[in-house]
Amino acid sequence: MTIIARRLAGHLARGFVMILVVATISFFIVNNIPGDPMAARYEKLIEQGMSPEAAAQNVKVLYGFQPNGTLWQQYTDYMGGLFHLDLGVSVSRPGTPVLDVLMEATKWTILPVLAGTLLSFLVGVILGVYAAIKRKGKLGDALAISGSLLHGVPQYVLAMLLGVIFATLIPILPADGPVDILFEPGFNAAYIGSLIEHAVLPVATYALSAYGGWILAMKSSVVTVLGDDFILAAELRGMKRSIIFRYIARNAILPLFTILALSLGMLLGGAVFIEKIFNYPGLGLLLINSVNDRDYALMGGAFLLITVAVVVANIVADLFYTVIDPRVRSGEGAS
Amino acid sequence: MAQQAPGVRIDGLTVVYKTSAGELPAVRNVSLTLEPGSITGIVGESGSGKSTLALSLLNAVQPPGRIAAGSVEIDGLGDVVGLQGEELRKARGRHIGYVFQAAQNSLNPLKTVGKQLLDLGRSHGVDDLRGLVRDAKELLGRMGLDGARVLDSHQHELSGGMRQRVGIVLALVLNAHVVVLDEPTTALDMITQANILKIVREVHAERGLTTLVITHDIGVVAEVADRLAVMYGGRLVEQGPTREVLGAPRHPYTKGLIKAIPRLVGDIDEARALPGRPPTLATVPKEGCVFRERCAARLDVCDTVDPEAVADGPRVVACHAVTVKEHA
Repeated sequence: MTIIARRLAGHLARGFVMILVVATISFFIVNNIPGDPMAARYEKLIEQGMSPEAAAQNVKVLYGFQPNGTLWQQYTDYMGGLFHLDLGVSVSRPGTPVLDVLMEATKWTILPVLAGTLLSFLVGVILGVYAAIKRKGKLGDALAISGSLLHGVPQYVLAMLLGVIFATLIPILPADGPVDILFEPGFNAAYIGSLIEHAVLPVATYALSAYGGWILAMKSSVVTVLGDDFILAAELRGMKRSIIFRYIARNAILPLFTILALSLGMLLGGAVFIEKIFNYPGLGLLLINSVNDRDYALMGGAFLLITVAVVVANIVADLFYTVIDPRVRSGEGAS
Repeated sequence: MAQQAPGVRIDGLTVVYKTSAGELPAVRNVSLTLEPGSITGIVGESGSGKSTLALSLLNAVQPPGRIAAGSVEIDGLGDVVGLQGEELRKARGRHIGYVFQAAQNSLNPLKTVGKQLLDLGRSHGVDDLRGLVRDAKELLGRMGLDGARVLDSHQHELSGGMRQRVGIVLALVLNAHVVVLDEPTTALDMITQANILKIVREVHAERGLTTLVITHDIGVVAEVADRLAVMYGGRLVEQGPTREVLGAPRHPYTKGLIKAIPRLVGDIDEARALPGRPPTLATVPKEGCVFRERCAARLDVCDTVDPEAVADGPRVVACHAVTVKEHA
């Protein structure tokens, strides 16, 4: 266990540095984007006849921001705020902390992404095993081709296709939004039913677009393991088919767990197209809107959140690997 | 343990591999008897078909290969070539133990040796799993290993010599009395190699086994085998008691092999490599003797007629030149 603890400490330290670096880079990039909404407001207030001091005060109260401090001062303020989880105040929604906006959006992103990814992982992995075992037959070919096709179709095409089919041509599902506003929010059947109904299309899009990757990855992983010596050895020792199947499955799925953890991290930021098309108020849509609104504080916060998600996913993937693969466990101990 | 060791009779065995050029034989018309309680060694170069022959003993030739003709009779089991499905699975491990080449990873890397031992027991319907673990520990101890520690280890925590001993234990723990060792000491250092061979000899005698050792190393065969069979191009070209074959080889290929071994004393240049290279699946001649291209004693008849294996007492040789000499 001390090995795992040491690994975790190392990962946390590296992750922390990475987050600081990304925060710094995104701060300076966002700061150098032309067009300054705070300066615009400040100037507008002065035009309206306010004294410069009063205008500066007004802007500061509104955004919690010193518009005419030096860049260095702004940077230290921003980084200092980060340590208190203070990402500043949204520009497009004056008075609302960026963190609150992000948390609200994350809530809408995490569940559908998680559901879609786990669904596609489960289905893809199981079918991938069959595609590998039956790789010389028609079923195997069909599975592999279905994987390649779905893997090749871009997410947004798939999203629009599903939308057209199930919301327009056969209108059985709502085309956009997270929930029907008719229903009272809370823990009641009608509201939850509406939530689920609205989540079907985004989740299906996530699942279908990721499924192809899983089935292809699992197939090639199983084929590799099938060629390993220990599988033949188990056969020659007269092991039961069910036991050999478990040997194959566990060895083959190992590398896929890493990809799974990483893709969960990436999907927080990668849901842009799907959320835009289904008008789903998650992080992806928030990112688009913040760009449109030139909400630099929100943009910086969203970038940072996605970075943190990826870093955390990395750490989780590695620790998970340590638990499931005995070779990694003792390999680290030896070095 | 004093159960009668079973005899094994391989008769007219032919194994073919499906290639783009049609089905090509990797083992052709091989007949070999393993006397009960004996150790038989098969030597041959890479690609001579010796591993394919070894797998045939378990009816485990891997696709695209298949046993096209012949039989492998094992006492108490019948013709293995006719077995299939569950019957075949149960015979493997229970009646016939197979030990892999040491360099190969014959263990599941994710499970401890002990857990794989239990999997093996469950596969063969062993009720007394505690007893199985006890037997395995005893066998491991017999081979100079700490049984409890080894059973608690993963493959990557064991050295090559330890893995090989674990492989032997897994082949024997279900009380199999026919044991096939495929290159048991390849990739091991000299000291470990000597240890493993000593263990093979001792366990063979103690448990009353019938053992087949496949190797490319004549030294290994000289060390352990009672009988020696030499394979070339999918044919058995010579067989007989180990001492007689090594002391007075008859087949030109066997002679060449022995001449190619460098001696510890004397001039290194006395060792003569065989000229040419062994045939592959595709270049094995369709008719005539498989060895004629590299043979010093080549006759006209060798081009057209495949020499029959002719027995002379305990020795069997398949060579026209030898047969001609005897009849002259």
